[in-house]
Amino acid sequence: MSKINSVTCPVCGCLCDDIELTIADGIVAQVKNGCAMCEAKFFSHSNEHRLKTPLIRKDGKLVPTTYTVAVRKSAEILAKANYPILYGWSSTDSEAQRVGVELAEEVGGVLDNTAVVCHGPSILSVQEVGIPTCTLGQIRHRADLLIYWGCNPWSAHPRHLERYTAFTDGRFENSEWMSYLNKVKAAAGRKKIKSLERKGILKHRREREIPTVSDNKPTEILDKKGRKLIVVDVRKSMTAEIADYFLQVKPGKDYELIQGIRALVRDQELDVEEVAGVPVEYLQQLVDAMISCDFGVIFFGMGLTQSPSKFRNIDVAISLIRDLNMRTKFAIMPMRGHFNVTGANTVFTWQSGYPYAVDFSLGYPRYNPGETTVVDVLLRQESDAGLVIASDPVSNFPRKAVEHLVKNPLIVIDPHMNATSLVGDIIIPSSIVGVEKEGTAYRMDHVPLPLKKVVDPPKGVLSDEEILNRILKEVRKIKSNRLEAA
Amino acid sequence: MIILTPIKKTQYPIIAQCISPDVFQEKTLEQINNLPIWIGNKRRILSDLFKIEKTTENSPSIIINGDVSQVRRIGWGMTQGEIVVNGNAGMHLGKKMSGGKIVVNGNAEGWAGSEMKGGLLEIKGDAGDYLGSPYRGSTIGMRKGKIVVHGNVGSDAAVHMKSGLIKIHGNSGPFMGFRMTGGVIHIQKDAGTRLGACMTGGKIVVSGVLEDMLPTFAIEFIKGKVKIELGDKAIGPFFVFLGDLAENGRGKLFISKEKNPQLSQYERFL
Ligand code: SF4
Repeated sequence: MSKINSVTCPVCGCLCDDIELTIADGIVAQVKNGCAMCEAKFFSHSNEHRLKTPLIRKDGKLVPTTYTVAVRKSAEILAKANYPILYGWSSTDSEAQRVGVELAEEVGGVLDNTAVVCHGPSILSVQEVGIPTCTLGQIRHRADLLIYWGCNPWSAHPRHLERYTAFTDGRFENSEWMSYLNKVKAAAGRKKIKSLERKGILKHRREREIPTVSDNKPTEILDKKGRKLIVVDVRKSMTAEIADYFLQVKPGKDYELIQGIRALVRDQELDVEEVAGVPVEYLQQLVDAMISCDFGVIFFGMGLTQSPSKFRNIDVAISLIRDLNMRTKFAIMPMRGHFNVTGANTVFTWQSGYPYAVDFSLGYPRYNPGETTVVDVLLRQESDAGLVIASDPVSNFPRKAVEHLVKNPLIVIDPHMNATSLVGDIIIPSSIVGVEKEGTAYRMDHVPLPLKKVVDPPKGVLSDEEILNRILKEVRKIKSNRLEAA
Repeated sequence: MIILTPIKKTQYPIIAQCISPDVFQEKTLEQINNLPIWIGNKRRILSDLFKIEKTTENSPSIIINGDVSQVRRIGWGMTQGEIVVNGNAGMHLGKKMSGGKIVVNGNAEGWAGSEMKGGLLEIKGDAGDYLGSPYRGSTIGMRKGKIVVHGNVGSDAAVHMKSGLIKIHGNSGPFMGFRMTGGVIHIQKDAGTRLGACMTGGKIVVSGVLEDMLPTFAIEFIKGKVKIELGDKAIGPFFVFLGDLAENGRGKLFISKEKNPQLSQYERFL
């Protein structure tokens, strides 16, 4: 039995690097410090359903094959294709992503990562208006106003609050842990009472509605000392339950709300009484809280990027930060999902100049989301082959896009069987990055962190990087043969 | 005059920025046949895709007879002459054009007239998204010229527009005139949400129904009619709004009073 300290968790964009693992008989026996998602990932390497040999589709059935055959067949498909797509990349290390860019250039394909269905809109607006941001360390030590907009870290990034924001003891700001603990207890108590009422054990009391802003004035948060936590969302999420103030916005009206706040920050008068369901008077109080803080941060999630207006929401959110910075110090940060989606954007950018949706079909990188994004390419039925790595588009792309993806030859590289590998033509198993292979990943604030290898991969299973390198070599061989023949 | 007739259908995107009067000018038929294009990631020549004929008439114009909705960048950066497309046209039609005329007797895909600097672009059918809007990240939109769309327009049209005129006979999608600083837009039917968001100058005239008014516009006055261009006036009366206040902007929205009774609540501020 051995212990490994300071392991980086390869699950979400928080990249917690304080995980302690106990290894027994070559498998992970205990996980300390991690959240439930982290534990599940570290235990998954010894999952008995794990795929250990490549599969290839013959007469409609997937049959086992060798790495050499799988790699050669994949290279043939990609080298022949007129418009292949190479998609995924967010759950693998930056070393593999680098090879991916080389491969995409070699085969003249469209290279895209999962940002296209999550934070792609954020990138578009960053390119238009820039982004005033900082590292999570700075937020931990200094931030006294934390706003989570359209995201629910309690469920999606479970240790975000505890490691980087409200629940952490920084050098200049203290943890609000105790007050939150009370709120959590109260919330749990409320739930219990409700369930007892449902079962008829307790008598039904006055129906308690979710407090919306209209019956919950933000005044108290202005007087509160220490860190303040505000959540803006369309529904009362778990994070909202423990927040100091919850601002409920009408679905799809975030844009109007941010613009309203911006106008107030600029001391303009509004000709309306309420914006997106929030009385202007309350907005004014919120704006006062924002301006009077020492260092505020807005974290935003899919609630902003994938609701109506998409990247224009982020455009104005960043503009709001710009306006606020004329009065106090403010920063903004996207809550990135996959552990290395930031890395995919970073690697693609330093290799090709563009963070996602890079089209190499003309021999040089080209970028125009809407035209060169994988989902749009699939919806217009333009591609004729696909490589999917470390991702599962079949379960989260639009149905029409999936139909076209499946119609053409499909290569899948993934440690586990998922919906995409079930419909793929060549399935190549790989080692789990951050568990069975070391590498580099970028945290949501663009800080690169090392991933550790804690156990050996199953015998014979190669890493993403190695598989891609072999395919690349094979593609180059096919191309040079073709040139010679010509 | 050159006549192009598509002879092949393909699923892959086609990039053919050579289809422009400036490029075709003073070239022999043989040279035009051999102009390079891209089909997917393969380099091909123009005659692989089109039957090309040259008429004796010596004018710098191109006629495309057939559907070219897969062909992108037609009329890229053209400065003179005329292109007529008898069918649907692909993305980036007339991008960066500074002169001449393009007429589409059909629909146009996204980014038509993007970063336009002059000339006339007329679309008889519908236009896609990003009509007259710039490339991603660029803040230089339409700078001059005129776009006329007889059908409807998708989202994000006229983003960062600086000058020029866009006339839409149909409806427009959301975010028309986002961050525009100058120029004139006339929507003869209904306008989508977030019209003129973040605008700091220019004017947008809506003769139909406005789906939603942004809270960051303030009413100024009511006006009887408004000038669109020389010899063309839109007849109101119109509510005139000033904004976008979030940008301390001075852009003007003219919204038809008759078609938008929901905005009458603003009249108390007059
Ligand atoms: S919050 Fe994210 S990175 Fe941290 S332990 Fe949980 S899953 Fe891993």
